[in-house]
Amino acid sequence: MSGTTTNGTTGPEPLEFDAVVVGAGPAGASAALALARAGRRVVLVERGPFPGAKNVYGGVVYGRVLDDIVPGWWDEVPVERWIVRRSTMMMTGTQSLSVDFRTDAWGSAPYNGMTTLRCHFDAWLAGKATDAGARLLTSTVATGLVRDGDGRVVGVRTDRDGAELHAPVVIACDGVNSFLAKEAGLLARAEASHHTLGVKEVLDLPPGAINERFAVQDHEGVDVEILGCTREIPGGGFLYTNADSVSIGVVVSLPELAASGVRPEALIADLKAHPSIAPLLRGASLREYAAHLIPEGGYDTMPALAADGLLIAGDAGAMTLAAGLWLEGVNFAIGSGYAAGRATDRALSRGDCSAAGLASYRADLEAQFVLADHKRLRKAPSLVLSERVQQHYPGLLCDLAEGMFTVTNPTPKPGGLKLTRTVAARHGVKLRQLAGDTLRGLRIFG
Amino acid sequence: MSTTAPGAGRWDGISFEERMATVDFRVGARAHITVDTDVCRSCTTKACVTACPADLFAPTADGGILFNYEECFECGTCYMVCNSEGALTWTYPDGGHGVVFHHG
Amino acid sequence: MTTAPTTEVHPAPDGPLVVACLRIGDLRPTVDPLDGTVTRDRLGVGLSPADAAALEHALRLAEAWSGRVVAVCVGPESVEPVLRDVAALGATVMRVPLGDEGDGHRYVGELAEDEHGLARTLVAALAPFGAPDVVLCGDRSVDRGTGALPAYLAHELGAAQALGLVVLGPVTDSAGRQALLAERRLDAGWRERLNVPLPAVCSVEGAGVRLRRASLAGALAAEGEPVPVARSLAVVAAPGPGSFHAGAPQPFRPRTRVLPAPHDDDPRLRLLTLTGALVAHEPPTVVEPADAAEAADVLLAFLARHGYLDDTRVTIPERAATEDDAP
Repeated sequence: MSGTTTNGTTGPEPLEFDAVVVGAGPAGASAALALARAGRRVVLVERGPFPGAKNVYGGVVYGRVLDDIVPGWWDEVPVERWIVRRSTMMMTGTQSLSVDFRTDAWGSAPYNGMTTLRCHFDAWLAGKATDAGARLLTSTVATGLVRDGDGRVVGVRTDRDGAELHAPVVIACDGVNSFLAKEAGLLARAEASHHTLGVKEVLDLPPGAINERFAVQDHEGVDVEILGCTREIPGGGFLYTNADSVSIGVVVSLPELAASGVRPEALIADLKAHPSIAPLLRGASLREYAAHLIPEGGYDTMPALAADGLLIAGDAGAMTLAAGLWLEGVNFAIGSGYAAGRATDRALSRGDCSAAGLASYRADLEAQFVLADHKRLRKAPSLVLSERVQQHYPGLLCDLAEGMFTVTNPTPKPGGLKLTRTVAARHGVKLRQLAGDTLRGLRIFG
Repeated sequence: MSTTAPGAGRWDGISFEERMATVDFRVGARAHITVDTDVCRSCTTKACVTACPADLFAPTADGGILFNYEECFECGTCYMVCNSEGALTWTYPDGGHGVVFHHG
Repeated sequence: MTTAPTTEVHPAPDGPLVVACLRIGDLRPTVDPLDGTVTRDRLGVGLSPADAAALEHALRLAEAWSGRVVAVCVGPESVEPVLRDVAALGATVMRVPLGDEGDGHRYVGELAEDEHGLARTLVAALAPFGAPDVVLCGDRSVDRGTGALPAYLAHELGAAQALGLVVLGPVTDSAGRQALLAERRLDAGWRERLNVPLPAVCSVEGAGVRLRRASLAGALAAEGEPVPVARSLAVVAAPGPGSFHAGAPQPFRPRTRVLPAPHDDDPRLRLLTLTGALVAHEPPTVVEPADAAEAADVLLAFLARHGYLDDTRVTIPERAATEDDAP
């Protein structure tokens, strides 16, 4: 940069690239990585001061998707703890029923899931892209799309001097609010019903206390998913362990939250005060509070993923899988982003960057887990967020367990079917509905 | 801040201000939220007031909405729940500004 | 900006040289409420408002004079992202390492312990660029600095100094030379206007100007570029005649004062005893000496009398008794 002058230019540096990737989260970093590896000139535009600065997630990064992209990733990834215990908890105000699974298999390479902090993980993945030759432009907002005379996307405008970055393909990985996908008409402007709000607290807790309270050691961690902790609002909660902190939060339906008039932080306070949770968090102090939207509509609300010169990936394409038993997002972002990068490379090679030329992106996603899982679980969000699952079943199952395990001498033990009928009636659920929902669940998840 | 009963907003010993003080906000010069308070006067739900996790919106005595933008999580809840077209515009803050999560 | 990590290859002076001495550190360090331990986060590094204002003033002065801006920062490798952003604005940047870089967190905290040594280090590091015409600093540092650095820099450079400024701009003085016109706040809303000759060291408040944003081309050009690093030049200021070392700044920790329980039956009297409301107190001393040297002596004597100074290292000059000392 010899001869740099005070106006910040070093002569006319061409702002032309083969591809512009907007957003340096997992999707964007993976897309840039794929393109840089293919030898393409790619710029990764990030609005935060560093990758991950704007990102919040609710639990676990499942690393299988990284096996092909970054072989041996587990030796270098910034990890907090490896998840070896996965617990699903149903609760009422005074009861809780957990299904708790632990395995050694998840505690050693190649591992299954991990907790991490996004500012570390996203920066690590973006670093892979820059190592491969991608340019990373931080603190820069892509404010809009640049189109040519035929309406094809040929670049983005930025908030630096209003200057533009030009490329035959723009990959929008700009997150759940994706203004680029909205501008392109792929995403509705504001569809609250397809979104949930996640609020999260990171609480300081010494590693020793975490190990004792959660029955783990060293780098082992726990992930707890919770149902029935969000009052009358459809949603769920989560609790997971970092190295020297725990993250706890709730995820709630956006329109129902708005209608309820409940403050989001009050829901976390409820959860933290629950008798099954409070002892785990005793003495922990708040390190950071965070909130983020999650696109939870699933397959049926997913936008078209390509337009002329434009692909969308990650949260921008509503890729988060929120299907009750499975809550995954980062791996879907990585999978879709990498596929978008490769599809762009193929389109550039063929010289056809129209929506048709980029169509191999969707085909690729359908062939692998990203859209296959979404398609198979397309009905899951409506079941998981249905009134019975949200409002009646946690209490029903807890009461059932209480009825089963409460010793009532000298009254004889109740029969299982009779107990189920009594408890179901108490919760306003007919056995026929219970059987129907069970069948429905088996069809969706089976 | 909030218009709820006294004591509300103070959960488990943490006031809302203390809660927000844990977050790194790099405040820019430009307000990235704007509210047309004339439109808000005809709004009956004012969902933004309770739903915003950063509690940035306060109802005013004349039925309008007073907004802040400094301590914004940039989640997008406000414009998603807003039911009056044109009442609330929301963009990203200028590059490098706004919330910076250290433990996201 | 050269890409090689050295200080030697720089263009010959082709205009006035404006230097911004930046302090880059975690802007939101956490302080343990019990033991005062400061924990810094690499992700929190940035320019404080005062440093950002200093840089903006430097860029404006260089524009007005068609000069160059050199931005230097003493610090570990973690400050480089911020220096890269500064380079995107068109400044030549340089990082000055100081001693062992092993523990960046500890290291930044120790910068404040020897401001004189820091000033000498900076002056040595800047030598290859030629003599600066203006050196700009922020007047508040985020790393527990004492704010003494600009004064030491002015001393080392033999330059004029104007500290705590809110307004700063270029002027041509009556003799046709380039100079600076500066303003700083006084009590009661007054402002002092200063004509500052060059060379000068100025520290500015984080007010009045806002740091510009880099152009897209500038940001792309600076992205990924290595930040030049000066040779390790740690210069420690040896205590010379008339200087003393006050030690590292410590967290303020007032001692507990034990008060005997009051014996009065009347709650009002007990309260009065406890608060000492009606007891006569020695009024605070107002120091009004004739000149600055005398004022310094009075203050040093006060500090020594109350045990704040190590008597073995400071000699309080014996002053001739005057009428002022009479009770």
